[in-house]
Amino acid sequence: MDETFADNQRLKAAVHFTTGQICQTIADDGGRKFSRQTIAAIAETAFRQCDTFAKDLEWFARHAKRNTVNVEDVKLLSRHSTALFTHIQQRSDELASAHQEQKEKRKKSTAKRKHQDTEDDPGQNED
Amino acid sequence: MADQVEFEFKKETIAKLLTKSFKDSKTKVSGDAVVLMGEILKVFVEEASRRAMKQATAEDSEQVEVEHFEKILPQLLLDF
Repeated sequence: MDETFADNQRLKAAVHFTTGQICQTIADDGGRKFSRQTIAAIAETAFRQCDTFAKDLEWFARHAKRNTVNVEDVKLLSRHSTALFTHIQQRSDELASAHQEQKEKRKKSTAKRKHQDTEDDPGQNED
Repeated sequence: MADQVEFEFKKETIAKLLTKSFKDSKTKVSGDAVVLMGEILKVFVEEASRRAMKQATAEDSEQVEVEHFEKILPQLLLDF
């Protein structure tokens, strides 16, 4: 019980830290400072919002009869705002194409390797 | 010229945040989903601070105070 509490506090601190950094960047180009309490309040809100997000994601995944939350669930989560949805869609497309590239690279290198040691151990690098 | 660094939440933090809130211990998160959640959370925090700052500007306040954030909070939560 104590362990989970400590973990929770550490997570909160992590969220607070990044929130502080983001607020600082925005304060820099907005010309207005954030009070410490405001940053703490924003961090706390983000932390609690994340809890709601996680529960939603879990239900989305379960509804699709999956045990793993995937990109589609996150897209569904961002449905409330069109701008956010398009942004997330774009990011997910970027990620997908990056993966595709990586896959092709790997395929090429394994093909090359196969070509070099001809028929030494065929079918070892099959996916 | 190094432009401003984009601050982001660590992947590890997001993964832990999500898994701790799951009711079922069998539920897992895919790597890409974690990255996208980090993006959503970053947008959330940015939006919160931008709106709070706008409110502070409208009230001609030197500093962004909790009351400014309180004023934008209901609409912020509706938008996410």
